Amino acid sequence: MESHSSYPCRKRVPWRLLDTEALVVDVKAGLLYPLNSVGARIWQLSDGQRSVEEIVQYLAAEFDADEKTIRQDAADFLRELRQRGLISLDDKPRPPADPGGRGPGERGPGL
Amino acid sequence: MPVVPRDRSVQLEIAGLVFQVVGATGLSLAWIKERYRPFLSRKPSQIRLHMEIQHAWPGGRPPQPRVDWENGNFEINMPACRARGSIVDKRVWLSVPPVPSALSPSLLRFLCSLLLLRQGGFLLHASGVIQSRSAWVFCGPSEAGKTTIARLAGARRVLNDETVAILRRGRGYVAYSTPFFGEGGPVMAEAQARAALKGMCFLHKAKRFTHQQLTASQAVGRAFSQVFLPKRDQTVVAAILEALADFAGRVPCYDLFFRAHPDLWEYLDGIA
Repeated sequence: MESHSSYPCRKRVPWRLLDTEALVVDVKAGLLYPLNSVGARIWQLSDGQRSVEEIVQYLAAEFDADEKTIRQDAADFLRELRQRGLISLDDKPRPPADPGGRGPGERGPGL
Repeated sequence: MPVVPRDRSVQLEIAGLVFQVVGATGLSLAWIKERYRPFLSRKPSQIRLHMEIQHAWPGGRPPQPRVDWENGNFEINMPACRARGSIVDKRVWLSVPPVPSALSPSLLRFLCSLLLLRQGGFLLHASGVIQSRSAWVFCGPSEAGKTTIARLAGARRVLNDETVAILRRGRGYVAYSTPFFGEGGPVMAEAQARAALKGMCFLHKAKRFTHQQLTASQAVGRAFSQVFLPKRDQTVVAAILEALADFAGRVPCYDLFFRAHPDLWEYLDGIA
């Protein structure tokens, strides 16, 4: 299991927040992953600046579930994202100017 | 008697995009005029398509279609043809095989989809029917029932049984006919037509009519794979997501469980 002191960081993949859910595209595999509201929140918070433990604290404050369950679910979810190559788990936080993904407010040059 | 030069160009209008095709000759030109007849246009062209016959393919042909975009330049590579273009110059060079059907619908479809994407629109794997001056679009993979629905249209105008263009207009969206028909054949692409979009249905065959309205996320998730573009370029994929998200926020989208019966139209009137 990933250390709770590691820092999840989204890879540069197209993604989009819709209401409370999110859609993430693995361009290499040509696959789209729909994320529910909890998954979307974890994805949003995985900016390389927050540790897994900090993300768990955010979730515990926002969702009605016990912290132990949230911690386990978040770890499982982050492990799956890493296995699919959608995030990295870094030892140190990244500087704020280095967002690892792309979504609302993080637009590239566009067409 | 003065010699009048033969006009070797032809113009096509698809979902508001007017192409001037140059470089086609003889049988190839005749084939284009016949294949795209309802979409021939005399409007001023916006984009020039230069057709170049390619007898050999140096470096081999790509096994899968691929679209790349960078700074207004794009390249569409397909197993039998290639398009390279510049949005700034409004020119596209098509490398095509030496056959009459060189301006293949599959290449032109990707090109249209890419150009529409710049305007927030897209080409969707869907059939479309105009009912009471509004369009319904029926989306789904092969065998989902797109052509079945188009054949149930009766006196209603069919936009297409396979490919519908979707474009933002004002606060809503408009569905356009296209020449890219499916198993229903050319009769499903007989005329240029468009109508304000009333709703989009994702098709599921069933024994009775039911439906469920989708959240924006569900609608985008379902529609994403049905947009006619390869999804291997970050910029293109981000633009598809952007366009679909806006679309799903403005147009009601449903899962439609249907049986092949003309009662469909009455049922649709009842849900929107």
